[in-house]
Amino acid sequence: MTGDHRPASGTPVRRKEDARLLTGRGRYVSDLALPRMRHVAFVRSPLAHGRITGIDTDGALAVDGVTAVFTGEHPALASVALRALSALPGYVETDQPPLARDKVRFAGEAVAAVVADDRYLAEDGAEAVVVDYEPLTPTVCAWDAGITDPVHDEAPDNLLLSRTFTAGDVDDALAGAHVVVDRDLTTNRHGGNPIECRAGVARYEAADRRLTFWSGTQVPHLVRTQLAELLDLPEGNIRVIAPDVGGGFGVKAVLYPEDVALCLMAMATPGIPLKWVEDRVEHLLAATHARDHRYVLRAGFAADGELLAVRADVWCNVGAYSVYPWTAGIEPLMAGGLLTGPYKLAHYACTVRGVTTNTSPSGPYRGVARPATVFAMEALLDSGARALDMDPIALRRRNLILPADVPYRMPSRLVDDSGAYEACLDRAVAMFDLAGWRAEQGRRRKVGGRPLGIGVGIYNELTGLGRAASAGPRMPFRTGHDACTVRINPDGAVTVFSGVTSQGQGLETTMAQVVADALGVDYDAVDVRIGDTDSSLWGFGAFSSRQAVIGGGAAHLAGADVRAKALALAGALCEVDVSDLDLRAGQVHVRGQEKPVIALAEVAEVAYLRSDRLPEGFEPGLESTKFYDPIRGAFAAGVQIAALEFDPATGEIGILDWVCVEDAGRIVHPVIVAGQVAGSIAQGIGGAMYEHLVYDEDGNLSTGTLLDYLMPTAGEIPELRIGHVCTEGANPTHVRGVGEGGTLAPNAVVAGALLDALGVEVDDLPVTPARVWELVSP
Amino acid sequence: MKCPPFSYHRATDVADAVAALGAADGEGKILAGGQSLVPLLALRLARPAVLVDVNRVPGLDGLVVRDGVLHAGALVRHLHLAGQDHHPLAAEAARWIGHTAIRSRGTLAGSLAHADPSAELPAVLRACDGAVHVAGPGGTRRLGADELFVGALQSSLAETEMITGVELPVPDAWGFAEFARRHGDFAIVSVAAARFGDRLRVVVGGVAGVPHLVDPGDLATCDGGLSADRVAILAAAAADDVDPPSDLHGSAGYRRALTEQMTARALTQLAGHRTPEAA
Ligand SMILES: Cc1cc2nc3c(=O)[nH]c(=O)nc-3n(C[C@H](O)[C@H](O)[C@H](O)COP(=O)(O)OP(=O)(O)OC[C@H]3O[C@@H](n4cnc5c(N)ncnc54)[C@H](O)[C@@H]3O)c2cc1C
Repeated sequence: MTGDHRPASGTPVRRKEDARLLTGRGRYVSDLALPRMRHVAFVRSPLAHGRITGIDTDGALAVDGVTAVFTGEHPALASVALRALSALPGYVETDQPPLARDKVRFAGEAVAAVVADDRYLAEDGAEAVVVDYEPLTPTVCAWDAGITDPVHDEAPDNLLLSRTFTAGDVDDALAGAHVVVDRDLTTNRHGGNPIECRAGVARYEAADRRLTFWSGTQVPHLVRTQLAELLDLPEGNIRVIAPDVGGGFGVKAVLYPEDVALCLMAMATPGIPLKWVEDRVEHLLAATHARDHRYVLRAGFAADGELLAVRADVWCNVGAYSVYPWTAGIEPLMAGGLLTGPYKLAHYACTVRGVTTNTSPSGPYRGVARPATVFAMEALLDSGARALDMDPIALRRRNLILPADVPYRMPSRLVDDSGAYEACLDRAVAMFDLAGWRAEQGRRRKVGGRPLGIGVGIYNELTGLGRAASAGPRMPFRTGHDACTVRINPDGAVTVFSGVTSQGQGLETTMAQVVADALGVDYDAVDVRIGDTDSSLWGFGAFSSRQAVIGGGAAHLAGADVRAKALALAGALCEVDVSDLDLRAGQVHVRGQEKPVIALAEVAEVAYLRSDRLPEGFEPGLESTKFYDPIRGAFAAGVQIAALEFDPATGEIGILDWVCVEDAGRIVHPVIVAGQVAGSIAQGIGGAMYEHLVYDEDGNLSTGTLLDYLMPTAGEIPELRIGHVCTEGANPTHVRGVGEGGTLAPNAVVAGALLDALGVEVDDLPVTPARVWELVSP
Repeated sequence: MKCPPFSYHRATDVADAVAALGAADGEGKILAGGQSLVPLLALRLARPAVLVDVNRVPGLDGLVVRDGVLHAGALVRHLHLAGQDHHPLAAEAARWIGHTAIRSRGTLAGSLAHADPSAELPAVLRACDGAVHVAGPGGTRRLGADELFVGALQSSLAETEMITGVELPVPDAWGFAEFARRHGDFAIVSVAAARFGDRLRVVVGGVAGVPHLVDPGDLATCDGGLSADRVAILAAAAADDVDPPSDLHGSAGYRRALTEQMTARALTQLAGHRTPEAA
């Protein structure tokens, strides 16, 4: 060993989790089997809106193997409701029962739960539960519906919240504009669809009133806090464990009524663990949906292309309940706050509304509202470019927030600290070979061949939000910080207890890299524990592309602090001034000297086992816990450009090339970052071209299985070419979040390419072959 | 998505399978590749009392050509059909079915009995004017393609009958074209075209309850060569002849347009000039 510390960050070290995940030895909730465990199946409403007039559970109880049936009126559940809180003026708070009481508000809402020896028998029981309903008139669309029966009595107009963002004087600016463009856009409802659907096992030990909840959640600490309140248990009596989780994408950042029902039922059947694993039909029906929005837009441009003003009216269909704990504000407020994206704008008026309907609740989904807002903003720019007869990329350049402008106060008053948009655009244009594709486009126009179009999407991703910008609308908590504990064990190896969670995105690896470098040990000497509220102090979990920034920051600070402690002890043991010491690859050196003076393992041994050698003034142990909060956030810039071809005869869409350049700040693990970018673009392409949850006018979901709800597969996703620009984030590891950015542009890119190829503006998504054909057929 | 209760019988031969179906009193179902039946069970849309598993019945997986007709056993898997070269139209069509995992399990008779109007093999059976051999309590019978398909997911087989073999006449020239949303999806529209001597048969999948045999008219005869003009006329005639439904994946108008496009591609292929766009 040379004693040189080779930094783990910035290199594609082998992922810690791969040995188990790639050999089929993952530990998922779905795999968990406990003694005496029973299985739960939910009875779900076939109606979108109706009063429950009676529930007969006798038939279910008569099924062999069924041991219990719960309804909303069961004493164990009857007094509990999930109520998403916000101090936002005018926000209407509503209750969501764990199992429906009195009324059902969407098709798929859980009405009763059957407990049985296995899931087959539980489903047999569920079929035998007879529920009588008195139908009410459902509301399905959030913007063009007369209301007969409001979804919630508290909101007779179905409006749960509304907020207006204003800056400058829009009327005045529009009056002075050289051109004004209007667009009326709708985006398609779709959802996260992780490979592993929702899953939970709840076990209650009555003797010491302890509840353990194994859950495929992205937010175990938040779940613990919420369960303590809802179940009336001391928070310390609840342990939430999120072991390996098969994807999340935001869908699992929600505490669901089914989760709460499962825990309440477990408390009613002490000593018997209850398991519920959601199947795909339930997931499509009742896990949170997203992106069902309408944007009515007007923008004014000066003759030179300067964007002068934007007026926007936005409706977000928030579904039947205000999603817990994020509230119905999650999509509308993000939409209004980020609509203007990476563009400078002085005059802005935007009213957003969260409208409740008889559809599955909307919740956080990778990119939250911004795939829709980027589509909206880029549509305005594409229309503006046509009206001005300007090159669409040149028009974008004319309006980008530049390095000289940052920190830039957006018209919604968010502060953008990125300014890397132009750098990303330059790099993307170069990688993409814009000139080459324009020539090919011209060639096809002349000699024939499928029309080719180039689409562009530029976006900012609000990542790693600190307390001043934290996610969510004035909720009773601020999600700005995470904690991390770094412990050097008696043998000198390192165990990290981090508050981050992982749903496949390799956080064990990323945290180990950060700690290895902060501390001065080998990557292989670091083991990371996540997802258990009994072992890590605190973390808000995975959402808002926050964990590399915030969890990584905490890991770095804790690692650096333990390093200082270890060096202090080493200095005292070796009688060397600490300021002369350095820790590299687990060996303590005097700076500039090849040969180590003491191994970290020996320092650790003294710290734990050899108090006889412990110098004056030193406590036993080598550990540190630190919190980190970036206070603001780290805006991340991104650009996607693609060339698509369209067959006017069939509407067939072919993706010929797709380039993405993002600013991830300093990259911790290049392959993980590329994976995040590629995966999120794939989900974005899914939303742009395939995925659509369609309700009929009675509120029945028409796309109830993966036969009709189409997700892109490897066959549909093109080779993605990914590039990077690096402007370091102002946080301990200099990173910027990358989890969501990829999803933001594909809507805009596909729609823009269609416009460029065939001259048709598409106002509603997804862009399918049938839609393309309709748009171009006379 | 768990199956309702059923009992299970593993048939040892055709007679045993037919007897088991008879004993189930109309409540029995054959389990072949399971690629259509198992999802229906999981969704509880099918509730047979007895599943009669025919996968171990010997002698049903052969392929042989006699007198210009491919004779295939009921259990010939899609993958097998896709890999043989006696009947290139059937091979080409089978390649369009789902993905490898599905093709390696799904069977020819299962696909025909399931009678999905968007499925490839029913369209091929009809385009080739083929037939199935059926065994039942009263003995065996032969059912022509035109009689087999009754409606969407409905065949004229009795609950107690089993397809044992399939006859697929080998056409002199053929073409196949399909348009689907994603690689491996059921077709929105597919077209199988076959020429036997001077007789042309064009069948469109995905536009009606059964694979639609385009009204002969102009299409009836073909002198071997098909000019581009004639292809265009015939494709337009096919589009006129169909009356498709609208659904989530496309309107009636769109399906009609696809019928024209896919017919043109299939006939172009049949005429021997493969267009670059024909897959
Ligand atoms: C994801 C997916 C994608 C697919 N994509 C396509 C596609 O693109 N195109 C396509 O055509 N198909 C597709 N399929 C269906 C597949 O082709 C099935 O294999 C086929 O439809 C049924 O054949 P099977 O052997 O699996 O029959 P099974 O599922 O076992 O049975 C289907 C039905 O046929 C009956 N049956 C089976 N064998 C006999 C017999 N010998 N006699 C009488 N009745 C019988 C059964 O009782 C049952 O009612 C897809 C399936 C899946 C899961």
